[in-house]
Amino acid sequence: MTIATRLEVLDPTTAPIPVSAVIAPRPETLNGTVIGLLANGKLNSEPLLEYVQEILADRFEFKAVVTRNKGNASRPCPTNIMEEMASQCDLVITASGD
Amino acid sequence: MSTQPLTSERLGFDDEGDVVEHYLRQGWTDGLPIVPPTVDKVRQFLEYAGRSPSEIIATEPVRGRVVTAEKVAINSVMAGCLPEYFPVVLTALEAMGEPQFNFHGMTASTMGAAVLMVVNGPIATELGLNSGVSVFGPGHRANATIGRAVRLIISNVTGAVPGQLDKATLGHAGKYSWCIAEAEEVSPWEPLHVERGLSASKSAVTIFAGLSPTQVANGASHSPEPILTSLSDAMFAVGRDQTELIVVLCPEHIGYIKSAGWSKQQVKEFLFKTAQRPLSEWEKRGALPQGLGSDDPDALAGVALSPDSITVIVAGGAAGGFSDIIALWGGGSNSRSVTREILSAS
Repeated sequence: MTIATRLEVLDPTTAPIPVSAVIAPRPETLNGTVIGLLANGKLNSEPLLEYVQEILADRFEFKAVVTRNKGNASRPCPTNIMEEMASQCDLVITASGD
Repeated sequence: MSTQPLTSERLGFDDEGDVVEHYLRQGWTDGLPIVPPTVDKVRQFLEYAGRSPSEIIATEPVRGRVVTAEKVAINSVMAGCLPEYFPVVLTALEAMGEPQFNFHGMTASTMGAAVLMVVNGPIATELGLNSGVSVFGPGHRANATIGRAVRLIISNVTGAVPGQLDKATLGHAGKYSWCIAEAEEVSPWEPLHVERGLSASKSAVTIFAGLSPTQVANGASHSPEPILTSLSDAMFAVGRDQTELIVVLCPEHIGYIKSAGWSKQQVKEFLFKTAQRPLSEWEKRGALPQGLGSDDPDALAGVALSPDSITVIVAGGAAGGFSDIIALWGGGSNSRSVTREILSAS
């Protein structure tokens, strides 16, 4: 008489590796801030951000507005645009608009 | 031989049927049954390729995923591969990890691309990879299981599960499995991997983020111009300014092109020139969403950005005047194809 052996198989999946990230400090007000508007390259991303700017401008007085378009929704934002916005802006709003 | 332990969680079952049912219920397959990935089989694959289980084959930074040789082996066993297919799967994954391929985007996008693998060189014959009759169809273990292994890895290891991270609107059948060899013996030209800088004696795999193919029929013409014009007509459906797209020429079409003495470059230039139309025509078809603006409405704009945007591959059965156009995800600019040599075990 033989003893049945259990069939041992392996889990094919992988869990994501957790990345530690810190949320940037939130400004208490948008008054007097430099805001960045980063379009993602989709057709309606710029009109959407223009609309967002209009709504916010009714409530807040910005020091300046920096608008950029990363040009390709399927690729990460180019480093030079990221660095430029990080150095100039107090906050950046981004949008995807198909 | 690596003595490194396998680190994947081990699961115990009474028989193979229970394994298959469990994997199907867990969503660890493509909806079809799998081969149970036993410890012995997975070890056999790793030993064949001379890889340690923990070796990193590719990373996907957007999702924080790391693809190890162990996970590639597990999924390759599940797909039904033989150990000798494993180096092709590993090489394809290494190529997919190249930033230019844009692994995250092409496996998540609504556009629904699949990884098309084209194998060149001696390994294609050694493994019995089909390049002939029904080249994109079923019936060949190497084609079917190598392509399936890559698909299982995309969902199980990098998380592009359909309906979750994979948001394809339509997708296509190539998302189950899509691996072919080029019919090098039929082609009058240098094979794809040689065009891309490798020697003919090397083996290589080229990966493309391919959309659903369009079959183009022309069984009536016996010269390059009308045959290729049929193809350029179909190319218009792909849209403007493609950085890369594929034309798969069947042997019957190749026969007439070869008889006329055309080079591969001539074919590309003819397709490039004939797949152009005025901007006003593109506008009518919605391909200029911002409008003509100040552009000349009579200026020509092409499907391909240049003749070299067109990759020409030879494959298919000897009978039938049917070739294919395969557009790439995002017009070929969001994901560039990658050719990589398949190295034998060190």
